[in-house]
Amino acid sequence: MTMRADAPALLTESASSVWTTRLARLVPPVFTFAALAFLFIPIFVLIAYSFNASRSTVVWQGLTLDWYAAVLDDRRLRQAVMNSAFVALFAGAFSAAIGTLTALAIVRRQFPGKEMLSTALLAPIVLPEIVIAVALLVFMVALKAPLGFTSMIIGHVLVTLPFATLIMRTAAVALDPRLEEAAADLGANEWQTFLRVTLPALAPAILSAFLMAATLSFDNFVMSTFVTGVGSTTLPIYIYAQLKTGLTPQINALGTLLVIANMTVLIAVIGYQFRLRARRQRLSQ
Amino acid sequence: MSSFVSWGRRSVLLGAVAFGLVFGLAVSGPAHAAGELHIYAWSGELPQEIVDDFEKETGITVTFDTFDSNETMMAKLEAGATGYDIVNPSQYAVQILAKKGLIEELEHGKIANIGNISEEFRNVSYDSGNKYQIPYLSGSTGLAYNTDCVKEEVTSWKSLWDEKYKGRIYMLDNMLAAYIAGLQVNGFRASSTNEAEIAKATESLIAQKPLLAGYNSTNFADLVSSGEACLVEAWSGTVIQVMAENPKVRYVLPQEGGTMWVDGFSVAKGAANRDNAYIFIDYLLKPEVAAKVTKLSKIATCVGKSRELLPPEIANNPAIFLPKEQVAKADFILDAGDAMKFYQDGWTKVKTAQ
Amino acid sequence: MRGLGRNRLLTLLMVTPSIVIVGVFLLVPLLIVVAYSFAERDSYGGVVPAFTLNNYAQLLDPIYHPIMWGSLELAAINTILALAIGYPIAYFIAFRAGRWAPLLLVLILVPFWINFLIRISAWIVLLGRGGLINATLQAFGIIDEPVRMLGTYGAVQVGLLYAFLPSAVLPIYAALQPINRTLLEAAHDLGANPLQSFLRVTLPLSLSGVMAAVLFVFVPSMGVFAIPVLLGGGKEIIIGNLIVQLFLEFRNIPLGAAVSVILLLASSLGILLYMRALRKIELARS
Repeated sequence: MTMRADAPALLTESASSVWTTRLARLVPPVFTFAALAFLFIPIFVLIAYSFNASRSTVVWQGLTLDWYAAVLDDRRLRQAVMNSAFVALFAGAFSAAIGTLTALAIVRRQFPGKEMLSTALLAPIVLPEIVIAVALLVFMVALKAPLGFTSMIIGHVLVTLPFATLIMRTAAVALDPRLEEAAADLGANEWQTFLRVTLPALAPAILSAFLMAATLSFDNFVMSTFVTGVGSTTLPIYIYAQLKTGLTPQINALGTLLVIANMTVLIAVIGYQFRLRARRQRLSQ
Repeated sequence: MSSFVSWGRRSVLLGAVAFGLVFGLAVSGPAHAAGELHIYAWSGELPQEIVDDFEKETGITVTFDTFDSNETMMAKLEAGATGYDIVNPSQYAVQILAKKGLIEELEHGKIANIGNISEEFRNVSYDSGNKYQIPYLSGSTGLAYNTDCVKEEVTSWKSLWDEKYKGRIYMLDNMLAAYIAGLQVNGFRASSTNEAEIAKATESLIAQKPLLAGYNSTNFADLVSSGEACLVEAWSGTVIQVMAENPKVRYVLPQEGGTMWVDGFSVAKGAANRDNAYIFIDYLLKPEVAAKVTKLSKIATCVGKSRELLPPEIANNPAIFLPKEQVAKADFILDAGDAMKFYQDGWTKVKTAQ
Repeated sequence: MRGLGRNRLLTLLMVTPSIVIVGVFLLVPLLIVVAYSFAERDSYGGVVPAFTLNNYAQLLDPIYHPIMWGSLELAAINTILALAIGYPIAYFIAFRAGRWAPLLLVLILVPFWINFLIRISAWIVLLGRGGLINATLQAFGIIDEPVRMLGTYGAVQVGLLYAFLPSAVLPIYAALQPINRTLLEAAHDLGANPLQSFLRVTLPLSLSGVMAAVLFVFVPSMGVFAIPVLLGGGKEIIIGNLIVQLFLEFRNIPLGAAVSVILLLASSLGILLYMRALRKIELARS
């Protein structure tokens, strides 16, 4: 510090470097707020235009709720939502269940091929989804297996399981093994320990894993495009077809409803985590 | 010991239940009523109202999925989307599906209203005697333009190659449809199977690409109507729906001919609900139903008698109902057979050209 | 002895479902794709078992070069943009946002939770000929005639960045966040200016996050197919579109399989490079 202050020869240089430094310090916040604008303005515009009375997605003609009525009135859309919910429910449940078992095995147990399994489980995250989808399609064709809800659920489990497993691994690592040891000491058998101690302790994480997997499944488009079959048109497939036939305010209204639904789930999850953390802090005090 | 046995049995049971759920429940899908029908139809051609009416009248529960190209539909059928009872192929797709055994020969005895099909659609070259397909809707492939932007009268495919409209032209995003313009602008037939002709058409389509705003086979009519596009290659049905709202939109068959298309319904091989499939096909052939379809979709029905049930502005619209002599000499896209490879290689070249 | 066997059985039961998922529904299918890439097809899209290199030879045809290079270029530019914009954001959230950090992180994450197609459709509203951007520019007299934005290469690039920016921010944030503040203070005390301490301390320590960001942006960017259709007007096709076309339109499964294998190899190479770089970084650190 003192050395720099005592070096007048460097004064001009450091003055300019002060300015560059100040400018450089501005970059991160400016970028952050610009990026937030970039991320959110389109969504706000979409929401605004869902109330536009004009059929055109361009000219503003005043407020209306007609497009929401049209969305609720669209039978095929309702069917697509039902199909999506059905697939998401199953894919989410399977991913959460399988992810929990796998995570407990990987974290708690020794078995040959453990490294390989945990790496292979990450593959669907890092490999392009389109390749995995194509592979599953070719597999179903080779087996002459019908495409439909089964292939959809299998495909969705494939792409959501890595996320569910990751969540469960984090939770399993954090789980104190002494809890279970204590239960065993008190005479509980493994099954009872699992049911009464492990499962309740992991429940919030399992719920998170389920919600994460179900949301990913509900929004899945790439895998669905390839393995969809009879009567299994899900919402993203329906939206894609609608988008290709033209953007109407009805799509904007549907988009707004989806944003609200997604935000509700997100806020619920975050709120739950916060309450959990607060409780833990209270307990530790 | 006892705990081991119970644990083992329980976990095996658990595993069995889990997998049983995947393969059992998942197969069944959402619950269905007794009478069902699975339809795979062109998007925009089967109005929901018609399906609702049909369900009300017959008590049959209809599920339908849509496609936006014959190729996608055929690929899905072949890939194992085996649960459809009825599919909605265009003429060349009928030929291919029949050849591959993916659709059944129709039992005309089960279709009481079969006599209602217009005469000109009874002995079409691609499916003589309606052996595999009951014609449903028909139209043409031509040009649509917006008079705000195109001041001249458009008569030829050549306008799609006009520098004036650079960046405001769209072609149909469909291989065989794009080749109609590509082939006919060079003076060839749209159903060409000649390698050299197809290669020439490919060159023309590549030369055209810098002028294009894009390829679009779905909302091209809206693009013309909004002025985003000046001039597009178009399927008649979609454009006519827009023309009713916007008088600035025009549709023409180019002097080189354009083509006709006929989309109809076929029964999928091994249809689980075959009887319902015939009930549905027969239902669509009722003149009043066919008239309603045309009124809703603005696409010409293939049921002759229904024309008199339509308001004159639809029945006498030459863009909707092509004159009989034009139908007689119209060019159809047919199954190109082994020449399909030339089209596919050419189309890939077009799509990847800069 | 019996206890051990029982324990093993239990482990086996726990991992069986995921082994089935990964083995039967991922590995076996990928192997079939590889096998099919050497097969032939009949003129109606059936697969004829054979061993031929024709499919790969066909991909060497110059007509496929623009797709391959174009996809690489698009993904590379997207990755560079996402890193250049994502890094400062992650930096801001990790070091400067203070108690706002969790909120900012959630905000960056929000788009992930909104349906991908809905997010893309929002851009159609913005970029159209009469869309909001054109209307605004015209209202301010910056342009006279609407500029064509939808259906251009630029629109595809914007759509890709929009879709993948959050994927870049998160791993970089995860790497920056645990960096020990005392290290930075030490650098400062040793006379390093902020830029120097950033280049010498922060950046090297966050490299693992940068590498992960590259992986999470670059690989999926190459497999995208909806964005070129919806925002690019179907004029620009990339490798994802080619795969869709070959499988779902042309029914040329062997050629489609060959393209998929190439994409698979390219991504595996990327992952391999990532893991090697990660090891190097860890070695250098220790």
